[in-house]
Amino acid sequence: MCTVSLWPRKPQASGPVAVLDPAPQSGASRQLLLRLAAREAAMLEGQVAFLQPELNQADSLVGEASRTLGESLNTLDRSVQHQHRLAAEVQVAMAITLEGDAATGEGFDAVSNSIMGTLDGFVTNMLEISQSSMQLVSEVEDIRTRATTMEEMLGELSEIAGRTHLLSLNANIEAAHARRFGAGFAVVAGEVSKLADRSSALSATIQEQVNGTRLALERTDAHAQTIASKDMSVAMASKAESQKLVQALEDSNLRVKGLVEQLEGNARIIREQVGHVVRCLQFEDLVHQTLQACLQELGNLQSQARAWRDFESLLGAEAEEAEALEALHDSLGAIEASRVQFRAVKSASLEAGDVDLF
Amino acid sequence: MNRCILTVDDSSTMRQMITFTLKGGDFDVLEAGDGVEALEVAQGKKLALIITDVNMPRMDGITLVHRLRALPEFKFTPILVLTTESDASMKQKGKEAGATGWIVKPFSPEKLMDTVNKVI
Repeated sequence: MCTVSLWPRKPQASGPVAVLDPAPQSGASRQLLLRLAAREAAMLEGQVAFLQPELNQADSLVGEASRTLGESLNTLDRSVQHQHRLAAEVQVAMAITLEGDAATGEGFDAVSNSIMGTLDGFVTNMLEISQSSMQLVSEVEDIRTRATTMEEMLGELSEIAGRTHLLSLNANIEAAHARRFGAGFAVVAGEVSKLADRSSALSATIQEQVNGTRLALERTDAHAQTIASKDMSVAMASKAESQKLVQALEDSNLRVKGLVEQLEGNARIIREQVGHVVRCLQFEDLVHQTLQACLQELGNLQSQARAWRDFESLLGAEAEEAEALEALHDSLGAIEASRVQFRAVKSASLEAGDVDLF
Repeated sequence: MNRCILTVDDSSTMRQMITFTLKGGDFDVLEAGDGVEALEVAQGKKLALIITDVNMPRMDGITLVHRLRALPEFKFTPILVLTTESDASMKQKGKEAGATGWIVKPFSPEKLMDTVNKVI
C-alpha cells in the first residue's frame, strides 16, 4: 500500500515516506502537488474500493459457512444422541437378558440353565423308562418261559386225565365182570371217569388262558422293545438340538453385546470430535473480528483519501499552497489522532483459551 | 435447581456454539446479541449464570457487567466473560466490574462445562 505522509511516522510504521517541500513557489510545483494529491487520493480510494467489498464478502462467506456448519452440527449431534440412547437401551436390554432382571432374577444364563436342566431331567427319565422297558422285556421273557412250562405240565395233566379215563373204563369193565360184587367198584370207576373228564376240561380251559396270556405277553414285549429301542435316541437327539440352539442364542447375544460396545466406543469418538468441531467453528467470530479490524483500518485509509481530495480541491480553487498544505497536514493529523488500531484477536491458533476464575 | 443461562454475543455462531454446549448439559439457554438486548432479556428472569462477550455493538460486555451488578436481582448471579481479549488490563477491568471469571475464546466445550458447573 502506498501512502504519503507529511509528518514523521510512528517508529513502528513502515512504507514509503515522501517529504514534500513545504513552500513550493512556482506554478509547476502547484501542478505537481495537484497531480500528486489526485494520484494519492485515487490510489487510496482504489485500494479501499477493492479491499472493502472483498473483506465484507469474506466476512459474509465465513459467517454463512459457519452458520450452516453449526446447523449441521446440531443435526448431527441430535442423530448421535438418538443413536446413543438406542445403544444404551440395547445395552440395558442385553444386560437384563444376559445377567438377569433384578426384579425377576431371570437372565439368559438362568433360562439357559433351566432349559438344560429340564432337558437333562427329561433324558434321565427317558433313560429310566428305557431301562424299565428292558427289564420288562426280560420279565416278559421269564413269564413266557414259565407259560411254556405250564403248557408242558398241562399236556401231562391232559395225558394223566386220558389215562385216568381209560383206567376208569377198564375198571367199569372189570366191575361188570364181577357183577354184583363189582357194583361199588363201578360207582368209584364212574366217579374217577367224571374226575378225569373234569380234569381234561380244566386243562383245556387253562391251556386257552395260557395261550391268551402268551399272546398278551408277545404284544407287551413288542411295545416294551419299541420303547426301549426308540425313545432314548429321540430324547438324545432333542437334547443335542436344544444344546445347539441354546449355544447359538448365547453366541448371538455375545455378538450383539460386542456390537453395542463398539457403538458405545464410536459414540465416544464422535462426542470428542464434536467437541473439536465446536471449538474450531468459533473461527468465524475470530475471523469476523479480525476482518472488522481490517475494515476499520480501511476506514482510516478512506479518510486519508478524502483529506487528499480536499487538498486537491483547495489547490484547484486557487488557495494558497501553504494554506492548502496546512489544511492537509491538519486533516491527516486529526485522522492519525483518532485512528484506533483495535486488534481484539491475539491468538494465532484455535487452541482452547485460558480460563481464570476471579 | 435453576438451570437457565443467558449468553450474550454479537456473533450468532458463538451463541449457537455456547447454546449447543450448554444444552448438552441440560441447561435452558437464552440469547442476546449485545448488552442492551441482554438487559431486556434478563429483565424479570431468574438466571443461574450469564456468559457475555466483551466487544459488542451498542453496549460492550464490561458495561453490561457493571449494569447487571447494579441491579439487585443480579448482584450475586455468576457472570463469566467469554472473549478474544486476553490482555491482563482488560481482565482487570472485568474483575473490577464484578465478573466472576474470564474465558478466552475459543472455548472447549469440556472446559466451559467444567467452569459453568464450578460457578453455579
